[in-house]
Amino acid sequence: MLAVCVAGAGLLVSASIPLAAHHSFAAEFDSTKAVTLQGAVTKLDWMNPHIWIYLDTQDESGTVAHRQCEGGPPNALTRNGWSKDSLKIGDQATIEGFRSKDGTNTCNARSVKLPGGKSVFAGSADDGAPKRPAQ
Amino acid sequence: MSTTVIPIVALSIAFLAPVLAFGQSPVFVGDLTPKPASPVPAGPAPRTPDGKPDLSGLWQRPYVPDMTKTTKDQQGTAELPFTADGLKAWKSYDAANGDYTGSCLPFGLLRSMNSPDPIQIMQSPAYVAPLYEQNTWFHVIPIGKKHREGATPTWFGDSAGHWEGDTFVVDTVNFNGRTRLDTIGHPHSDALRVMERFTRTDAMHIAYEVTIDDPKIFTRPWTNQRIFTLRPDWEIMEYSCEENNKDLYEGHLKPPPR
Repeated sequence: MLAVCVAGAGLLVSASIPLAAHHSFAAEFDSTKAVTLQGAVTKLDWMNPHIWIYLDTQDESGTVAHRQCEGGPPNALTRNGWSKDSLKIGDQATIEGFRSKDGTNTCNARSVKLPGGKSVFAGSADDGAPKRPAQ
Repeated sequence: MSTTVIPIVALSIAFLAPVLAFGQSPVFVGDLTPKPASPVPAGPAPRTPDGKPDLSGLWQRPYVPDMTKTTKDQQGTAELPFTADGLKAWKSYDAANGDYTGSCLPFGLLRSMNSPDPIQIMQSPAYVAPLYEQNTWFHVIPIGKKHREGATPTWFGDSAGHWEGDTFVVDTVNFNGRTRLDTIGHPHSDALRVMERFTRTDAMHIAYEVTIDDPKIFTRPWTNQRIFTLRPDWEIMEYSCEENNKDLYEGHLKPPPR
């Protein structure tokens, strides 16, 4: 049920140089490595300069991986009506984003969705990161 | 107009009444229920007692990660007039080798003004001081004074402000040359001179213009123009870049070259 999908999306990603609000997107993340992670939330850091969402994913063989994804800045998210209670430990979340360049289980989250399709932490910043291709 | 203002004032008083009933020290109790909208100022730019346009307030600004782009409330310069050295500095930049902001080093004047977070402007007859929510930095601009001589170059530079009619003009020099102009990494040198013009065009807006003059990097000065919008419904928030900078602490990004 839980899945990790890494899409070779380089050709589909906008050629524009991606950016993030705090530091340069390209300093850390790879715009050619789109990733979709699905799993149970284990922890949420609601702190500056970015929130971090931790989740455990499981592949088809049952192997569990601990993953972490950087989200938007908490101040902007707060002004958009979100809070640290918008995502709870144990929630099943689907994160679409981009992998870090260093090969660790780290990603930059572009969207976070709950079962039923409700998005959380959306609209944190128009930060110019590449548009993800349709999955 | 009065028919719209009076109900808003009445709502505000009605909202404040329960708080005042508990005495002089309202206590935040975590009530996140929707509040009546703050009164929205209208009309011409307000003025301070000394007759100058009042720039005070919390201002929402367009995020400008790339000063060549034109977006909502931001007019960029599409083609930058690089010198040969400037073009070399731009072409050789790779953020993956270290973006100083990832280490929470001071963003400097330009990247602070280009940041997505709001600024609070404080104003007196002698000073204007932008308080940047980004990393909780501030900058003090003396009015009517000359640049300091022999001062150590800094991240935000040395600013001197003056009024040209109803426009507040800020002339900033003496940068340390360790910053970038924007998130995408457009370069500048220690010869950078920045001219900023703040014009409060009405109660809700500031027209902002910034001119980049750096003869080592650009063959001529170039300009961005922006609109800032007053947010009476917001308050400035704390922002600690160092608080949980996992990107750096866990080595996902490199510190900048020294």
